[in-house]
Amino acid sequence: MPLVPENAERGVARVLAPMLALGFAALLLAAAAAAWLQSRNQDNAAAVEHTLLVDAKISDFATLVERSETGRRGYLLSRDPAFRTIFVSAAAGLPALAEDIAKVTADNPRQQARAIRLRTLLRRQQLLQAQTIEQVASGRAADFANFNQDPGVALTRQIRAIAQSMRDDERALLRLRNERQHATLATFYTVLTIAGLLLVLVAAFTLAVMRRYTGQLSASRNELRRLNGDLEMLVQERTSELQRANQEIQRFAYIVSHDLRSPLVNVMGFTAELDAARKTIGGWIDRIEEQAPESVPQEARLAVREDLPEAIGFIRTSTQKMDRLINAILRLSREGRRALTPEPLDMNALVQSIIDNLHQRAADAGAEISAAALPDVVSDRVALDQILSNLVENAVKYLKPGRPGIIRISGHRDGARAVFEVSDNGRGIDPKDHERIFDLFRRSGAQDQPGEGIGLAHVRALAYRLGGVIDVRSQLDHGATFRLSVPLTLEAGNYAA
Amino acid sequence: MTDHHPVNIVMIEDDEGHARLIEKNIRRAGISNNIRHFTDGTSALQYLYEAPEGPARNGPALILLDLNLPDMSGTDILARIKSEGPLRRTPVVVLTTTDDKVEIQRCYDLGCNVYITKPVNYENFADAIRQLGLFLSVIQVPDVDDQA
Repeated sequence: MPLVPENAERGVARVLAPMLALGFAALLLAAAAAAWLQSRNQDNAAAVEHTLLVDAKISDFATLVERSETGRRGYLLSRDPAFRTIFVSAAAGLPALAEDIAKVTADNPRQQARAIRLRTLLRRQQLLQAQTIEQVASGRAADFANFNQDPGVALTRQIRAIAQSMRDDERALLRLRNERQHATLATFYTVLTIAGLLLVLVAAFTLAVMRRYTGQLSASRNELRRLNGDLEMLVQERTSELQRANQEIQRFAYIVSHDLRSPLVNVMGFTAELDAARKTIGGWIDRIEEQAPESVPQEARLAVREDLPEAIGFIRTSTQKMDRLINAILRLSREGRRALTPEPLDMNALVQSIIDNLHQRAADAGAEISAAALPDVVSDRVALDQILSNLVENAVKYLKPGRPGIIRISGHRDGARAVFEVSDNGRGIDPKDHERIFDLFRRSGAQDQPGEGIGLAHVRALAYRLGGVIDVRSQLDHGATFRLSVPLTLEAGNYAA
Repeated sequence: MTDHHPVNIVMIEDDEGHARLIEKNIRRAGISNNIRHFTDGTSALQYLYEAPEGPARNGPALILLDLNLPDMSGTDILARIKSEGPLRRTPVVVLTTTDDKVEIQRCYDLGCNVYITKPVNYENFADAIRQLGLFLSVIQVPDVDDQA
C-alpha cells in the first residue's frame, strides 16, 4: 500500500537541522558584522577626531605665528606699543602650542619630524623677533624698511610652509580615514545582504520542506483513516464469520447430541426389557430348581444369575455415562446459544451468594471460603455466576486430603478489564495438564471425584463469550489459582448469538 | 373411549425401537386399541387422509407424532392436520426427544394437544408412556366431522 515512506520524518529532520543551523549562522554573521562595524566606526571616529584636533592645533599655531609676526612688524614700523602687546601675547602662547603639536603627532613619525622642526624654527624665530623688538625699544633703530632682508621673514615663511604641509598631510589622512569609513560601511552592507539572502533562502527552503512534510503527513493520516475503516470492516466481517461458524458449531452440537439420544433411548429401553425378560426366566429357573434341582444345567443357572446381570449392568452404566455426556454437550450448546444480557453487577453480592450456596459443601469438606473486595462490572449475570460457581465448586471438590481448605476469591481492575482470581490450597494441577483441563471431557489427577470433565470447558466457553480469557497457575500439591479476565463493560449485541 | 367406534391410535415414529417400546408400554397401561405405526410422514398422511379405513373416512383417531421424521418435519404434519379438513379436532400427542423451548411453543401454537418429551432414562420413559396410556384411556375423542 502506498503509505508515506517511513523515513520521511527522518528525512525532514535531516534537512531541517542543517537548514536551521545555517539560518542561525547567518544571523550570527550579521551580528558579528554589526559588532565589527561598530568597533571600526569607533576607531575611525577617534582617528578622525584626532586628525581634526591636530589640524585645529596646527591652524591655531599658524594663525598665532602670523599674528605675532604682524605684531612685530607693526611695532617695528610704527613703534606703537599696542603692536608690541599684540606680539607679546601671541608669542607667549606659541611654545606651548608647538609642544602640543609635537605631542599629538607622536603617532605619526613624519608629522613628528615636522613638528620638531617647527619647534626649532619657532625658537629661532622668537629669539630673532625678541632681538629686533629689543633693538627698536632700546632705540638702536636698524633699518627695518626692507623686510626682504629680515631673516625673520624667511623663518616665518618656512614655518608657514611646514604648517601648511602638515595640514595638507592631516587633510590627506582625513580623506583616507573617510574613505576607510566608507569601505567599512560597504563591507558591512555586503555582509548584511549576504546574511539576509541566506536567511531568506533558508526560510524559503525550510518552508518548502515543511509544506511537503505536512502534505505527506495529511496524506498518510487520510490513508491511515481509510485503512482503519477497512480494518474495522474487516474485523466486523471476520467477527460475523466467526459468529456464524460458532452458531453452526452450536447447532451441530445440538443436532448431534439430539440425534444421539434417540438410539440411546432404544439401548436403555431394550436393556430394561432384557432385564425384565431375564427376571422372568430367572423366576422360572428358580421354580424348576425347587422342584427338580438336577434338571437345570449349571451353565443355564450361571448365565441367568451372573452373566446376564453383569452384561446388563455394564450396558446400563455405559449408556448412563453416554447419556450424561450427551446431556453435557446439549447443555453447552444451549448455553452457547443463550443471548447474553449485560447489566451492572455487584460482584461482591454475586460472589457472596455463591459462597452461601456452597457453604454446606465447604463445611462438609472442611474448607473455608472468603472473598476480598471485588470490582464491579457490566456483564452477563448468569454467565459470570456459572463461571465463578464452577471455579469455587472445583476448589471445594479438589482439596488436598488432610489439609484444611482455604479458598479465596479476589479481584482487581486492570485497565479496561476486571480480573477475578479463585485460589485454593488444594491438591493442585500438574502443569502439563493446564491446557487440557479446559478441554471437554478431559480431567486431571486422581479420578476420585464424580464428574465428566465438563465444568472447565463450560467455564472457558462462557469466558470467551464474555470477551474474556481464563488461565490457571498451579503446581501439584500446592493449590491452584484460576484467573479470569473479562472486560469491565460487555458490549451488548456483539456476543448475543 | 367412545362406545360406538373404536378409536384407532396412529403412531408416526421413524424409530422402530421407540415405536416398539411405546407400544409395549401403552399395552402395559391396559390400552388395547388398534395401533397403526408409520415410519415416515408421507405414508402416514396418505393413511390419515386417503385410506378407506383411515380416520378421515372412517372413525375417530388419536395421533402420536414424533417431530424428527426422515422425509418431512413433524410440525408440517401437525400444521396440516390442525389447519383445515376432517381431522382438525383429532387429538395430537407430540412425543419426541426435542425439549427445545421454541419447538414446544411452536407445536402448541400449531394446535398440538399434548407435548411430551421422551425421557432418555428408560424408567422415566416407560413411566411417561404408561401415564400417557392411562390418560388415553379416559379422554374423549370427537367423531370425525364430515361437514367440516
